[in-house]
Amino acid sequence: MIPLSSSNRRNRSKSLDKFIENFLPPIIGIFSFLILWQIFSIIGLIKLPPPTSLWTDERTRNYLLYPFFDRGGTDVGLFWQAFASLQRVLIGYTFAAIVGINVGIIIGLNSFWNKALDPLFQFLRTVPPLAWVPLALAALQQNQPAALFVIFVTAVWPILINTAVGVQQIPQDYINVKRVLQLAPRKFFIKILIPSALPYIFTGLRIAIGLAWLAIIAAEIIMSGIVGIGFFIWDSYQNNYISDIILALVYIGAIGLILDKLMAFIQTLIVRE
Amino acid sequence: MSLFVTINNIDKIFSIPGGDDYIALKGINLEIKKGEFVSLIGHSGCGKSTLLNMIAGLDLPTEGIITLEGQKVKDPGPDKMVIFQNYSLLPWLTVHQNISLAVDEVMKGTNSSEREALVEEYINLVGLRHAIDKLPKELSGGMKQRVAIARALAIRPKLLLLDEPFGALDALTRGNLQEQLMRICDEYHVTSVMVTHDVDEAVLLSDRIVMLTNGPGSKIWGTLEVDIPRPRRRMEVVTHPSYYSLRSEIIYFLNQQKWVKKLRARKVSNLARHGLEKVNLELGYVPLTACAPVVIAKEKGFFVKHGLDEVNLVRETSWRGVVDGIVGNYLDAAQMPAGMPTWLTTGGYQESPLPVVSALTMTRNGNGVTLSKTLYEKGVYTASDFRQLLLDSVGKSHTLGMVHPSSMHNLLLRYWLAANDIDPDNDLNLKTIPPAQMVADLKAGTIDGYCVGEPWNLRAAVEGVGFTIATDLEIWQGHPGKVLGVREDWALQYPNTHIALVKALLEACQYCADPKNEQEIREILSGRSYLSTSIEYIQLGDPNQYSCNLNNSVEYAHHLFFGENVNRPSRTEHLWMMTQMARWGEIPFPRNWVEILERVCRVGVFGTAARELGIEVNYQRQPIALFDGSKFNADDPMSYLMNAKIHRNFTVAEVHLDGQRLSAA
Repeated sequence: MIPLSSSNRRNRSKSLDKFIENFLPPIIGIFSFLILWQIFSIIGLIKLPPPTSLWTDERTRNYLLYPFFDRGGTDVGLFWQAFASLQRVLIGYTFAAIVGINVGIIIGLNSFWNKALDPLFQFLRTVPPLAWVPLALAALQQNQPAALFVIFVTAVWPILINTAVGVQQIPQDYINVKRVLQLAPRKFFIKILIPSALPYIFTGLRIAIGLAWLAIIAAEIIMSGIVGIGFFIWDSYQNNYISDIILALVYIGAIGLILDKLMAFIQTLIVRE
Repeated sequence: MSLFVTINNIDKIFSIPGGDDYIALKGINLEIKKGEFVSLIGHSGCGKSTLLNMIAGLDLPTEGIITLEGQKVKDPGPDKMVIFQNYSLLPWLTVHQNISLAVDEVMKGTNSSEREALVEEYINLVGLRHAIDKLPKELSGGMKQRVAIARALAIRPKLLLLDEPFGALDALTRGNLQEQLMRICDEYHVTSVMVTHDVDEAVLLSDRIVMLTNGPGSKIWGTLEVDIPRPRRRMEVVTHPSYYSLRSEIIYFLNQQKWVKKLRARKVSNLARHGLEKVNLELGYVPLTACAPVVIAKEKGFFVKHGLDEVNLVRETSWRGVVDGIVGNYLDAAQMPAGMPTWLTTGGYQESPLPVVSALTMTRNGNGVTLSKTLYEKGVYTASDFRQLLLDSVGKSHTLGMVHPSSMHNLLLRYWLAANDIDPDNDLNLKTIPPAQMVADLKAGTIDGYCVGEPWNLRAAVEGVGFTIATDLEIWQGHPGKVLGVREDWALQYPNTHIALVKALLEACQYCADPKNEQEIREILSGRSYLSTSIEYIQLGDPNQYSCNLNNSVEYAHHLFFGENVNRPSRTEHLWMMTQMARWGEIPFPRNWVEILERVCRVGVFGTAARELGIEVNYQRQPIALFDGSKFNADDPMSYLMNAKIHRNFTVAEVHLDGQRLSAA
């Protein structure tokens, strides 16, 4: 038993080493940041409340402790706020994925349409999400569809462009196989085009989810009177609840991170290399 | 066998960025029969893959037409299945799925269980049962290519196209796959076209090998029939008599193409120095004892002494290499068989006259006729014994080797045979074989004898595989052997260089004739860069030191390099050779033979060179006396030709030579 326990100890110390090596630096970094912030805030160097205000401010503490309350209207817990935003993102993003992949394939296969539309896409791609908001509101008249449109228009370009590139990059070998076997278009689509372009499509999807999340916050800030974490921030600012904003930012960052990691995970599942 | 694929006058032109056109292929004609296996061979970039893609329909020719069973090839399709070099398997599909994708698509008419059976059959055929559900990334290169072969064959194509199918595989795997492919092709009678750059692969697999020249403007240089019977096995084909001649033919071609490429790439084409128009010369020769003057002029510095600072000796394995070099204009000058200048001038090569001049005869004698030991054991000791043997064995063919139609060996052998009442074309076969290959062929039994220059007669005797039945002493003592030949246009362009070259070689001839130098010359010649043979095979002097016979020693006529009436080009001799080449149908006898002789024999250049060297030349015109007692009268070659006992149907024609005429010297 003695050798076993010693090896156990060695294992434990090894995993501890690993933990120290991998996790200690980020923990030190985050704590240093928070402590500095706290100090600066206390000595009045910055006008923001310190990080401890998430707890000391009673209103914020309630938001922190009770994310699921629902008192009707826009007065709901942060979970529901974030959920509403996420819902919008998923709807808009789904539309963007459907349109982006399909148009991307058409453009990738057809050099005429590629040439015809590429300048337009390149131009529209560079328009910032926020700039679409007034136009969307003016065109659609209502907050909800306008928000969805902004997400759509933000997320669609990376999906579309990456898909088009993926289709254009199908190796000549596979195209030759298709030509020699005279594969039916449907079969070519399923057996060659999609599998071959899939890595590119997923790269587009991953970029797009990040952009969509960025866009929704920006869009909601402008759209008053809806449930959503963007508007929550704006509303808190109007009422000078600065510590609420800080809490909401933590939510936004966490959700953005989770979305990105989720897409990366799906990518590894589907795209076998 | 019927015509299956025809490729008719194909050009392929690519436009390259910058608005230029690149002519990849020019004027390709090829016909492929059903069931045939054809290989396309050439250096990379010669357009062989382009040609294959056009047959596949993946690419279209710029000009010309390709048909498959009479239908124009416009699109790719499963009837012309391609096996690509990089396998082209879909990485996300398993072995089974890859094959069934093809089978399901192509065999739509059949039901699914039949298709499944077909897929299974071909997976078993290539021995991949155990890997049926693996993805391509889990397979080795050889296994991937087997999947590709199975996929291609399972859809039963009319034509199988293979683009360097085994190029990326290791030697062992390649060998196994070649045998598998061969077996399958034999079994299913698949018509195949394969692109390769592997000489052995081409010989092993093909019925016919098509050699493509380097681009731009690649064309078919030649086609070889591979007459090795099927089924072939990799280890056995190498013992087939044709194997090495085919192999050496292809390697000759590939080397020649490489050489041409190198010459094209070279910028400096002409160095003038010391009052000579050109001092950098490419001088072709074939490694024989007779090449001594050329080698000595280089090694002992005679070229440099006469101002030719940069003479590069180009060793050719056969006289054909010399012909290609002179015709292709990448050799400045060459050691040639004596008959070659007139042969080229009168259109012996592809019936297009190319004026070539000779100002120096470098060697005389040194040849012999060797017959195999088998014949010796059958009691063949003399020409009449040989004749009797041929008469007794009607129906059995005998083959003798010679080195080139225009060489003295061919002419003397034929003359000797005919004088002994043997018809050299009807009673036996004469075959052109590179000198260095004679002994090997004699050993292998593919030829019964040969006429060739030393050291190959001696070597057969020393190795005990043959004996010398006749030497120059018995045919024509003192006949011209090798001469210096240059193109007439070259001689006109570089007259002083020509004289310097003759001077250097003449002096080298003088050096070679001095018995004092014999040992040194033998050592130099036997070296790796020249004959690369044992020194005992190279004999220059005393004929009693060795024997060319199996039992009793024969008197032997050694090479003459220098002496009275040895080096001056003789019109009479060149005329005699023309009559002989016309007699055997190699060339038409030129009605304007006087003009031809004046142009070929540059006696004036020789005279100038000899005078400048201080060598006295006393020339006396003598009639040629051959062993059969007939005299050759240089004033009436026509009646000499008419009176020849055995001859082919020869023609007499005016040979039109263009180009500037040099005033008769």
